[in-house]
Amino acid sequence: MEFVFSQLSGFGEAFVALVVDPLTYVYLITSVFLGITFGALPGLTATLAVTILTGFFGNKIPLDYSLIALLGAYVGAIYGGSYPSILLNIPGTAASAATAMDGYPLARSGRGGEALGLTTTASFIGTLIGTVALLIFVWVLLLISKNIASPEKALLALFGILLSGTLMSEDLVIKGWIAGLIGLAMAMVGMDPLLSEPRYTFGWSYMLSGFQVVPVLMGAFAVPQIIEGLRHVEAAKMLKLQGRILPNMIAIRRHMPTITRSGVIGTGVGALPGVGEDVAGWVSYGVGKSVSKDGKNFGKGSIEGLLSSETANNACIGGALIPLLVLGIPGSPPAAALMGAFKINNVIPGPTIDPEIILRVVAIMVLASFTMFVLGLFTARVFIHILRIPQTVFLPVVMVLTTIGSFSVGGGINDLYLMLGVGFVAYFMTLLKYPIAPLVIGVILGGLFDETFRRSLLISDGDLSVFVSRPGAAILLTLNVTLILAQVPAVRRTFQALKQRVI
Amino acid sequence: MKFGIAKLAGAAVVITGLATSAFAQEYPYRDITTAVVWGAGGGTDSINRMIMAEMEKHLPVSINVTNQTGGVAGSNGMVYVMNQPDDGYTLVGLSESNVTAAVQGGWDKKFDYWYPFIVGGSPDLISVPANSPYNSLQDLVDAAKAAPGTIPAAASGAGSIHHLNLLAIQNGAGAEFKFIPYKGSAPGQEAAIAGEVALVVTSLAEQAALIEGGMLKPLAMLTPDAVEIGGNAVPSAFSIYDGLDKYLPLKQAIGFAVHNSASDDVKAALGGAFEKAIASDIVAEWATANNYDVGGQYGVEAQALFATLESTFAYTLKELGATTVDPISLGIEKP
Repeated sequence: MEFVFSQLSGFGEAFVALVVDPLTYVYLITSVFLGITFGALPGLTATLAVTILTGFFGNKIPLDYSLIALLGAYVGAIYGGSYPSILLNIPGTAASAATAMDGYPLARSGRGGEALGLTTTASFIGTLIGTVALLIFVWVLLLISKNIASPEKALLALFGILLSGTLMSEDLVIKGWIAGLIGLAMAMVGMDPLLSEPRYTFGWSYMLSGFQVVPVLMGAFAVPQIIEGLRHVEAAKMLKLQGRILPNMIAIRRHMPTITRSGVIGTGVGALPGVGEDVAGWVSYGVGKSVSKDGKNFGKGSIEGLLSSETANNACIGGALIPLLVLGIPGSPPAAALMGAFKINNVIPGPTIDPEIILRVVAIMVLASFTMFVLGLFTARVFIHILRIPQTVFLPVVMVLTTIGSFSVGGGINDLYLMLGVGFVAYFMTLLKYPIAPLVIGVILGGLFDETFRRSLLISDGDLSVFVSRPGAAILLTLNVTLILAQVPAVRRTFQALKQRVI
Repeated sequence: MKFGIAKLAGAAVVITGLATSAFAQEYPYRDITTAVVWGAGGGTDSINRMIMAEMEKHLPVSINVTNQTGGVAGSNGMVYVMNQPDDGYTLVGLSESNVTAAVQGGWDKKFDYWYPFIVGGSPDLISVPANSPYNSLQDLVDAAKAAPGTIPAAASGAGSIHHLNLLAIQNGAGAEFKFIPYKGSAPGQEAAIAGEVALVVTSLAEQAALIEGGMLKPLAMLTPDAVEIGGNAVPSAFSIYDGLDKYLPLKQAIGFAVHNSASDDVKAALGGAFEKAIASDIVAEWATANNYDVGGQYGVEAQALFATLESTFAYTLKELGATTVDPISLGIEKP
């Protein structure tokens, strides 16, 4: 209990420090506005918003402020995706795909204003639920993580890559794994962390520092997105916004159980490594459908359905930051971009991370969700106007921004070649329906896996039993093996047969 | 129109020429840029930002600090500054770790290419996890002598200053540990806390918070002086083992440098501002708060220090098989 109080007082101090600094508002309002815009424009995603801002702000302004910009954009973009979902039936970001299921029918029946007001409130409460979870669980995990050594880290990194591959894949799970393994292979390039020998550099000194995170992020997330957006310009008819946006507090109170449940689900999904807001939205929507009394109306314009996905995707943000801050394992693709920002600032997330950074992140999240709430309620009509900007105008602008951002972090032309090369490969992978997020997770966690796996063996003199003899490692190994075996057809059939026999 | 541009260009040339001749004696007349070869927020970066802010007060111009990271041992930034004119308007922010860039193939210059200014460094020490059975350096060394090469010891990458300190204590005390490299000091310290390794060698600045928090137990300083931290007196390893002075101290040297080919005026102007900055209270307070020792050497004296570091690092790396260029071919003498 004492621990909770000390947490709260620490948070209070960080919050006050943030509130009294006038610069905070400059960064916060701009970035949340920018985030909502990115989220609202179909074809631009939350990941892209955070990635581009990492390129621009990452090492130009102090980390304290760049965190405000990045988190503000993150919160705003996840929320902003709900606009086109409701008004155009096109999800602004993948995170809002489930929102369109009920949002669009609601808008068609003239309840668009009500739907927007409710999603705004739900996103706000969702973000706060995720943030409270972050404040509490990050410390619990930090205590545990002090005992995490190389074998556990290696298995955790592998689990992150595999899980991201399993859940982010559109059709075959193995495609997600292949993407993850390509990322893992890319992470091997550069100076070997244990023996200080160059690997796969072909004598080119640029490659000695390995694939740089920001150009890879830009190439993987931005380039395919932009090409795809320009190839298929979606011209849907926008519905007129009817009704008042300010939400009815009685309605909110009535839906509180749904909002709370979805918030908890969203946070939980977010905490899984490499699994993002889109999965959170769908899982919560699915759970809502089977749990809610209104379940049969899901997909036909149910407020409950709308709230299920829209609360969960925002709650996911706080969840995704937990493994990022404690273990350096990003919980979602935008968190991977945040990881990039930490890396270029030489902050190493992990058990010895400066606790002040965590408290500041929490304070920023709270302030960002308030800003998002206010902007959403009072400037919604501005964002609806932004929705009218044609993709053919803003996508090329974003491409230019991406290029500048990619160049400005390292300041070398080679970074641009790397970005374009990765982008080219990523585009064709997208065409073949290979998910891109596991590749990026692979690049980020691959180095950790390689280093910790080999270090474990170095300490144990090559004895593989270190991965079983430690209790934490044994549990993680079991998880990894289960994840892989669950995809083997023979095993799956056996399990189904067993299940039927038991039932 | 063409004529107009030509005229303008001509005028510009004349004015520039005049300006150069008029101000040539008075370095510096325009802003100075310091390119730090390590990332923003790191030790070298924060030291440079601090000292440059202090030096600005004693110079008529301002100094901008930027970061040029990447390459081998910070070679990108050093190559970048090397390619700028040696007029003293582009400085390079660097540390002792950069002396290995040449033997690792990052660039092809000996370190005396620079005219360095050393702000300071934090002394290294050897620590064990708080619950470790070893309570003194003797305990640890005796255990290592009983089972050579089995006690895992953490330090940052092969050939880093902390690795060299570990090797030095091994040679000086006659013990052999099992070196486990980590990417930087923080992961190595985390590994020690998690019990993955039995000891860790990093600098006092990096360990101070963990020692005060009771997570690491300091055994001995690898410098001649004992230190008191968090209420614990930490003895010097020199007072425990005789003959350590043959191998130690190997200390961090963080600071900045200008081209050695720069004119004497430039060196004198920078040296004057540096001396005043180093003597200021702000630097002293900063050093105490962050557990750094203030250096203050520059010019020939600093070059001699870096030359020692360079040859020690180069030949240690060569023995480890981690060099791509033979130190002899660069003219680096054996220590």
